[in-house]
Order: sequence, then C-alpha cells, then structure tokens
Amino acid sequence: MMQKLKEIPDKNPFKVPEDYFEDVNRKIITATSGYNQETKEIRLYKRVRPYLLIAASITGFLILSYTAIQLLSPKNTDPIVSEVLLDEYNDFYLNDIDILTLEESAASLDLYEELPEINTTDIVEYLLLDNIDINEIYEQL
Amino acid sequence: MQLSNYKPDDNISELLKTDLDKGFRLVVEKYSSRLYWHIRRIVILHEDADDALQNTFINAWRGMKSFRSESSLYTWLYTIATNEALSLINKRKRNAAISYDELESFFVNSQEGSTWFDGDEAQVKLQNAILQLPDKQRIVFNLKYFDEMTYEDMSKVLKTSEGALKASYHHAVKKIEKIISEG
Repeated sequence: MMQKLKEIPDKNPFKVPEDYFEDVNRKIITATSGYNQETKEIRLYKRVRPYLLIAASITGFLILSYTAIQLLSPKNTDPIVSEVLLDEYNDFYLNDIDILTLEESAASLDLYEELPEINTTDIVEYLLLDNIDINEIYEQL
Repeated sequence: MQLSNYKPDDNISELLKTDLDKGFRLVVEKYSSRLYWHIRRIVILHEDADDALQNTFINAWRGMKSFRSESSLYTWLYTIATNEALSLINKRKRNAAISYDELESFFVNSQEGSTWFDGDEAQVKLQNAILQLPDKQRIVFNLKYFDEMTYEDMSKVLKTSEGALKASYHHAVKKIEKIISEG
C-alpha cells in the first residue's frame, strides 16, 4: 500500500548549533557593514586610478627622455672651462701669495694626518706590477 | 517542517528607503531562518548551508537599494539563496567531494545519533526519497511542501511557468510516495 506524504509527521529533522541564528545574523551584519566602507574606498580608487596611471606614464616618459638626452648629447666643455678657470685662479691668487704662507695654510689643515696609512707590503706589490726591480724598491724604502 | 505563510511587511520597505542599515538588519532578522532552512534542505550539510546563507545576504546587500516593495524582496532573496545552494551542490559534484551515497548515509546514521540530523525512520525515508529527485524538482517540492510558497512566487524565484511548476510538484509527490512505500 502506498504511503502518503500526509501520514509522515510534520517535524524538522535537521539540527543547528545552539544560538546559531543569533550568531550568523551578527556575522552577516558585521560583514556587510565593513563591505560598505570598503566599497567606498575601492570606488574612489577606481575613479582616480586612470589619472594616476596617466600621471605615472608621463613622469616615466619624462625621466627616460631626460636620461636619453643626457647620454646621447655631446660631453660638455666644463672640464676645459674648469681648467681655464683654475689656471686663472692660480695666476691671480698665487702670484700674490708667497710659498711660506701656502705651507703654513697647508700645515694647519693637517692634511698628512688625514691621509690613510699605507702598508709597505701594498707599496711593494703595487710597484712590482710596474715591473720595477725589487732591489730598487727596497733601496728607496 | 512547514513554515507559516509569508505576509508582506510594508515597514521594512519604507525603512530600506530611509535607513538602509536598519532596514537591512530587519531583513536579516526576518529572513535568515527561513532562507537557512530552504538552503539546508538543498545542500543537506550545515556547514555548506551556513556558507551559502552568508553569501546570500552579502549579495543581497549589494542590491538592497533597488527594491520598492517587500514582496519582490522576498522572492528575490529566495532566488539568490536558491542560486547559492545550487552553485554549491554543482561545485560539490564537480569536485566529487561528497556523493549522494554519502548524503544518504548521513540520514541513515541519524538513527545512531547524528549531530546535525535527528529524525525517526519515517523522516529518514522521506529525506532519502527527496534526495532521489532531480535538483530543480527537489527545490520545487521543498518550496511547496515545506515553505508553502505560492506557485506565483515560485515562478518568480525559479523563472519557470506556474503550470510547469504544478506539474513538477505533482510528479515529485508521486515519486516520493512510491519510494517511501517501496522502503
């Protein structure tokens, strides 16, 4: 005999954890509250992003252009000009200053004290590279 | 379980227009239980139903402003919930994570004291029989038998004609009764 659906007791056989609906409602409200703020930030970023990309592209292009121009342009004459200026300086100032004054000025700078100490071995090795006879080296040292 | 018939509440519709946060909170409190059981009857496992329920409301939140009356909100929520549940079981089938045999044993094991299912022999037979139905017919049966949804609302939820839904439900009942009787 066919059992009818109506004969089956009306009961929900599925179970949920205790306080489940209170907990899930709270989770949903929390999740959607945060989502609202995040979408505002995301939307602002999305609006601004195209302009940021354009600005970044232009800046990159300018930097590359400047670098390329610097590399490809002929070397400037500054060193030559510098040499000329230095010669003029030497002629102009040194003619009016005697050598004793210069030595006193140099001594006050304590230049020698600032120079790093060089190891004798390093000096020997350096001179040997120039094929200088080792006996001559030690004679000078 | 058979839920009470749905009755529109115009207060929520008005509140959604003036205070969206408060209105949405009321929507969650009113519909979370109903939607959970609808989803649970489709996916069977509590953890899956929990995931699908939360996804349902997050998706609903995105479109909350565009509703004018609560009657359309009701069917719209059911549509999202149904889609979330179907998406989950389709994913389950693709991954072969859980087979229908395992779900059947889920009901059978209830007699030994399951955490998430507490049904007598008749309930186990009924749930197993419902599980034998094709997915969409199973949903039609659940919405009519447990949720007592009208065919008009069901038509909006499932995007199917009322005539087709009536026929589907009629055949579902016959099939279930036959399976139960053959036991």
